[in-house]
Amino acid sequence: MEGFTTTTTKASAQPLENADVLIASVETFIFDCDGVIWKGDKLIDGVPETLDMLRSKGKRLVFVTNNSTKSRKQYGKKFETLGLSVSEEEIFASSFAAAAYLKSINFPKDKKVYVIGEDGILKELELAGFQYLGGPEDGEKKIELKPGFLMEHDKDVGAVVVGFDRYFNYYKVQYGTLCIRENPGCLFIATNRDAVTHLTDAQEWAGGGSMVGAICGSTQREPHVVGKPSTFMMDYLAVKFGILKSQICMVGDRLDTDILFGQNGGCKTLLVLSGVTTLSMLQSPNNSIQPDFYTNKISDFLASKAATV
Amino acid sequence: MESTTPNPTSTAAAELLTGANAKLLLDSVDAFLFDCDGVIWKGDKLIDGIPETLEMLRSKGKKLVFVTNNSTKSRIQYANKFRTLGLSVSQDEIFSSSFAAAMYLKVNQFPPQKKVYVIGGEGIVQELQLAGFTALGGPEDVEKRAQWKSNCLFEHDKDVGAVVVGLDPDINYYKLQYGTLCIRENPGCLFIATNRDSVGHMTDLQEWPGAGCMVGAICGSTEREPVVVGKPSTFMMEFLLQKFNLSTSRMCMVGDRLDTDILFGQNAGCKTLLVLSGVTTRSILDDPSNKIQPDYYTNKVSDILGLLGE
Repeated sequence: MEGFTTTTTKASAQPLENADVLIASVETFIFDCDGVIWKGDKLIDGVPETLDMLRSKGKRLVFVTNNSTKSRKQYGKKFETLGLSVSEEEIFASSFAAAAYLKSINFPKDKKVYVIGEDGILKELELAGFQYLGGPEDGEKKIELKPGFLMEHDKDVGAVVVGFDRYFNYYKVQYGTLCIRENPGCLFIATNRDAVTHLTDAQEWAGGGSMVGAICGSTQREPHVVGKPSTFMMDYLAVKFGILKSQICMVGDRLDTDILFGQNGGCKTLLVLSGVTTLSMLQSPNNSIQPDFYTNKISDFLASKAATV
Repeated sequence: MESTTPNPTSTAAAELLTGANAKLLLDSVDAFLFDCDGVIWKGDKLIDGIPETLEMLRSKGKKLVFVTNNSTKSRIQYANKFRTLGLSVSQDEIFSSSFAAAMYLKVNQFPPQKKVYVIGGEGIVQELQLAGFTALGGPEDVEKRAQWKSNCLFEHDKDVGAVVVGLDPDINYYKLQYGTLCIRENPGCLFIATNRDSVGHMTDLQEWPGAGCMVGAICGSTEREPVVVGKPSTFMMEFLLQKFNLSTSRMCMVGDRLDTDILFGQNAGCKTLLVLSGVTTRSILDDPSNKIQPDYYTNKVSDILGLLGE
């Protein structure tokens, strides 16, 4: 029964055979979203019943996603549209993490934030009371590299936040680069560095790691990452909800973000194969990240329940 | 007097170019390799004194070669740019990273029935076509936009066997996604970078993000490192040595960037001269964190003319 180890263990992941034991041993479940709860805009089978079951057992549910395109409020709406009752306060997107990070370091309110990213980041910055520039509207801006042309940039920008950005262009790269290179003490913050993301259920799409890589290339600086696998969000919600990390199980589909996040944070970890990771990737000799357990999808929790009834 | 043995990791401080050492330099060198952005021109403006200096060097029998990491133009287009600026430089004297990318594929026997996806400008596309390869992307994909609907698949050509990434002021998500899919899903697909310069003087008034940005983006989405054909990689040097029958110890590399131009010269055993007319300032050169010391430094190329009292 006992015997879960939560340190970065090299022992191979175990198939989840006794879900009830796992469920009984933790107080909080943290779920990734893409590939765990939904794929693109489609709910994964059995998710509503599984979440209901966990709630009925008194478990706290938290949703932590690296996807920065929406704010918590907008994610709340997505959950609602899919028929799940999840409140805003249970959702932690990397867009929120960026704003929370700036708050935690007392980023001065008279400084501005330049955003290479989408609406979610802008909304969260606004909610947190920060002034921002950039975002999707700079996606329309063009530059002409001709004699006498100078791009001006706001000297009051004290941080550049970079995340997934489908409206990425050279104007934004230059603006962000000038701020980081020329404004003294300017911070370079990345919401996340995922190489690819499942924007649609059918295929992978270049992720936030791409935009962040671009700015690393032009500034020769490394960013402060607030999303998984950085433990910033884990530490934040442990404090917010007053929970012990050993009482948490992180459930995700990606080894180098979700599972590493859980391990770095000292939690139990469960990999689901309903997203980007296959069993052969998990078992490949090239893979050194072993979750405590793995299973096909989260509704496998229900199968055990049925068995023990 | 024989110059000191070139040591790629030498940290002896750079010497300021003077009348005396300029004369020594000229006598000990048969060829000058010049970077372009920040050395010959800034954006589309010629730097002062260039025409006279190049003429003087030619009149003394020195071979001139122009080696640029800027992949936006082909060699022919660069020859035209030189001509427009009043300088007579032939195509054969120019080695652009666009040309290097095409030559890399040729030298490595890239099958002509495979295609090349280009994240970059017309220069790369032209050089690939001149070398007999089929190029996709480049300027054609500037206006393309990706769609995100559940039943809509972003298609990519399965015959793409290499993705070449260079400076692209028209970078967009469509190109990032196309290149990413080719590298991640087409078996054996090569990832080639023309160069990785972080910034450069694309206009006369300020620095702009360089190819290092676009290459960084593709590294980020593919988790792979590229083969780099431009400076400081020695690929272009090997090419021009074959062409011109020169000894690297009788060559001087003149550039404005330490981690590409000067390192390029040092890696090959050339003498190196840093000019401060581009991206590198005196304080960057002198900063303790800088480990790359050229043999000499001076404000701009035309100082050579001035110091020799020509």
